[in-house]
Amino acid sequence: MTSYISLPLYAASIGQRLRLEAARCSDCGAFTYPQRPVCQNCHGRSFSAERLSGRGRLHTYTVIAPGGAPAEFDHQQAMTGALAVGIIDLVEGPRLTAQLADVEVEDLHIGLAMRAVVRRLYDQEGVIRYGTKFVPDEAP
Amino acid sequence: MTRVAIIGAGQTPFRVRPDATLKELFAAAVEAAVSDIRHGFDPQEIEEAYIGSLATGGSQLGNFGPLMAENAGLTGAAAQRVENACASSGFAFRDAVMAVASGRVRFALAGGIEKMSDLPRARNRGWLGVSGDVEWERLAGTNFPGIYAMIARRHMYEHGTTRGQIAGVAVKNRSHAVANPKAQLRKPLSLEDALAAPMLADPLGFCDACGITDGASAVILCRWEDAGALTDRPVEVVGSGVGSDVVALHDRAVCTRLDAVRRAAQQAYASAEVEPADIDIAEVHDCFTIAELLAYADLGFCSEEEAGRLLDEGETRLGGRLPVNVSGGLIAKGHPIGATGTGQITELVHQLRGSVAETERQVPDARYGLAHNVGGSGGSAAVHILKAPA
Repeated sequence: MTSYISLPLYAASIGQRLRLEAARCSDCGAFTYPQRPVCQNCHGRSFSAERLSGRGRLHTYTVIAPGGAPAEFDHQQAMTGALAVGIIDLVEGPRLTAQLADVEVEDLHIGLAMRAVVRRLYDQEGVIRYGTKFVPDEAP
Repeated sequence: MTRVAIIGAGQTPFRVRPDATLKELFAAAVEAAVSDIRHGFDPQEIEEAYIGSLATGGSQLGNFGPLMAENAGLTGAAAQRVENACASSGFAFRDAVMAVASGRVRFALAGGIEKMSDLPRARNRGWLGVSGDVEWERLAGTNFPGIYAMIARRHMYEHGTTRGQIAGVAVKNRSHAVANPKAQLRKPLSLEDALAAPMLADPLGFCDACGITDGASAVILCRWEDAGALTDRPVEVVGSGVGSDVVALHDRAVCTRLDAVRRAAQQAYASAEVEPADIDIAEVHDCFTIAELLAYADLGFCSEEEAGRLLDEGETRLGGRLPVNVSGGLIAKGHPIGATGTGQITELVHQLRGSVAETERQVPDARYGLAHNVGGSGGSAAVHILKAPA
């Protein structure tokens, strides 16, 4: 048994998932990302979509031991063993929880410059659910 | 507002109980609470029952409150389930306190239950780990071990907290549980063994987490003026506070403190008219070891930088200045999710009355006790302050 987002709603969120489209408040200019119906800064309800750069720094992270990740990632963990997850401080302000890829766990450290890439997250109903992961940013 | 008394409190032992149904577990907790009322009490007097449960033990039942009430001999009481993840019965307790304090009812029950064993592993992995922002945390790749591990790493980075101090919470709480027959893990744990345990989510290992537990707890409340006829040792609920916050850790400006707890604590201290320094004993929500260190600062016992030292110096162990989790806490007593909040209250009631059966773990002369119950990684929190009988 797994958690579930229906395919139509997943499809509807692809802009924010794959293109990092944030909701920029028309009243106060703050970014709300992931998007929500209400601005998290001023509670306004009028937004324009604006892409985030995908660049940021590692705020904190963990390395989840085999079998310790959510059930949706069992297949990935069976292949890769440990799974690294972090919270990224994006340069525009919002933070995001994401997997950390293309990096040795011993090279991870708080403050590491990282950038967003589109990667496969998990499969459900025979459909690949793509999303954002972060990799070290060579030239921050 | 009417003054509120707890007249009876009880819980099942926290165990893996594949042999017991939800109905049997809850009935046993209510029976323990009723039989704790010294001068006798007819449970049919209970007018409202608030029952905390995350997912009714993974079985996702509807009308769960009435079902539990019926099986515990409370048929006819207005019963409802209360859900706020791991803080479910802390919030159920709050509701029962307010039902009595408002003058609406004379007798109310607050309880909680979860049955975490007796489900296929695949099913357990579906209904557990859903108390964060599932779309953006779980489905990015992490559930609660990872979330608390990220809090722990940032705490170490910002406040100099050490891995040994974090694991020390488990060592302390496991040592407390040795004398508690209601606790699930009664074998002591050395710091060496805690640090050598396999990693769960770095920097947290398997000894930093809770296991799978079944259990139920219940407390019975009434107006202060009615309590004297039923018991000679009522415990007063002097402070009550609840709070919530953004659910995802990544949405919080600071991830080494829980603002939901700070809001709840502020209300609880203000309504009790006491300060953190007045608290003599606390049961705090150590779902992971690091969570107890967060609690020390969020509850005002010390600063974030001092949390590890408070633990190191033994101030929060049995015999220290402020014993924390003398029951064994969630780590060792067990964490049957919905049952935890009123389980904490049950421990404090016995401690404050001086009626702990095992005298070696009775904290002497405690006047004020505090219960701290957190939902998820801090999306919700309930804090209550109880006062010993005069």
